[in-house]
Amino acid sequence: MNILLILAYVLLFLAGAFLLYMAFRTDDRRFIYLSVAFYVIFPVLVTLRLPTSISPEAKQLYDAVEALPDSSTVLLTFDYYPSTLAETEPMSRAALKHLFRKNCKVLTMTTVPLGGPSIAERVTREIAGQYGKIYGIDYVNLGYKANYVAVLKGMGSSIEAIYPTDNSGTPLSQIPMMKHIENYSNIDFIFAVSDNAIVDYWISIVHAQYGKRVGAGVTAVSAPQYFAYLDAGQLAGMLGGMKGAAEYEMLVKQPGSAVKGMTAQSLVHLFIVFSVIAGNATYLAKRKRRGGEKA
Amino acid sequence: MKTTVPIITAFLSGLVMLLVFFFNPEKSAIGRLEPEVLSWVTIVGGFTLLLGVVSIVRVNYGAVKRRKEGWKYKIATLISVFAMAVPAVISPRVSPLFGTAPGSIYDWLFNNLDAPMMSTMFAMLSFYIASAAFRAFRARNAEATLLLLTAVTVMLWRIPMGEIMLVKIHHSLPEIINSYIMNGANMAVQRGIIIGAALGAAAMSLRIMLGIERTYMGK
Repeated sequence: MNILLILAYVLLFLAGAFLLYMAFRTDDRRFIYLSVAFYVIFPVLVTLRLPTSISPEAKQLYDAVEALPDSSTVLLTFDYYPSTLAETEPMSRAALKHLFRKNCKVLTMTTVPLGGPSIAERVTREIAGQYGKIYGIDYVNLGYKANYVAVLKGMGSSIEAIYPTDNSGTPLSQIPMMKHIENYSNIDFIFAVSDNAIVDYWISIVHAQYGKRVGAGVTAVSAPQYFAYLDAGQLAGMLGGMKGAAEYEMLVKQPGSAVKGMTAQSLVHLFIVFSVIAGNATYLAKRKRRGGEKA
Repeated sequence: MKTTVPIITAFLSGLVMLLVFFFNPEKSAIGRLEPEVLSWVTIVGGFTLLLGVVSIVRVNYGAVKRRKEGWKYKIATLISVFAMAVPAVISPRVSPLFGTAPGSIYDWLFNNLDAPMMSTMFAMLSFYIASAAFRAFRARNAEATLLLLTAVTVMLWRIPMGEIMLVKIHHSLPEIINSYIMNGANMAVQRGIIIGAALGAAAMSLRIMLGIERTYMGK
């Protein structure tokens, strides 16, 4: 590793420690904000590639997709708001790269009205362009329809009944790829990328009632609740937060923004851990002093 | 009338969805009701969005008219609503700038204003969490200490730098955390929550169907 890079990061740690000390001395939280800003911005400017280990749940998801026969039909969902793009968009990008590499037919949709269709359109078109895929033949964006429970349930009978047109208003009957896709029975795998509780419904409605295999990419904060579904075999695999996205990027051998973002996340996590330790050390010292004064 | 009609509608809708679950949609008339009812639900869902827009316009317009506190921000809300909605609902046949397709006004506003603003708002959480970590996360008693230690361990486990540290302490520490915390204690608690929430949802559905629960009518 470059000695200058190590030196830069050592200096960054020292700067953070100094700011934490200043926050402690002055009781001014702005020093803490400044430290966090440093730790987020610095790795973007000075890139440090950290080794990312692959978790069993990410490997499970990768293997499930890898096991699909070439040209399978996969439903990829963009069930997330723009606020969590940093965690979820890399998952969608890595999933699309994996699916297009396997020549899968990709059907995209969203249950999120605020931005979901636009994100799906932007990301899918960009990745499809890289793999020479054609809209309507290799992929279709269904867009958004209100009331997700009804949408998920209704697609089990007829996708066209729920989505008479695609996201840009073209009737599904005029789209070549959709001629062979009537309902879930024509879909081989569901890859749900989400920042909300919709994955529960993909499991309880689509997996449980229609027997479709579901894999999920979720935010770090919601990942713990899906370990139960994974253990029960109701989820084929899972990506949790930016770490999960980075793992999938590594698995598809296409490192992207998640792998890059892990350095910033590492630094901020470490800073928070040190803040907790420092905060508790001062708290215990104060308590001891107060106890001594009373005695 | 205002109470009876919604209760009857809720009861019948719930009953139909309950019954169709047990019938084959291809072989029975009751089963065939399912796609029909679900199409209705998505259409009604679309109208609720419209209702939301009407409501936000009414509330904010009223506040601006009466010069209530923060009325200037409400003007910004109203401008934002119309700036996003009007170009999106005009047919793209008029001009490619309308509609929601890539290259449209709506798409540009979403990608260049809405998405960065929402991401910024969410990103600000990290500053507050860091500040709270330093000022508020205290090991005041045994339970708080346990929570704190678990949080710190999981935070380290989720990052490459932390994983390197944990491996230095013991080579299989990351696997131990995965097995005992995430796939052990965490999973057991989550199962309890999931089962409890499902039972609660079933009970609530029954209460709504039978007209016992009426809060959805504003009562």
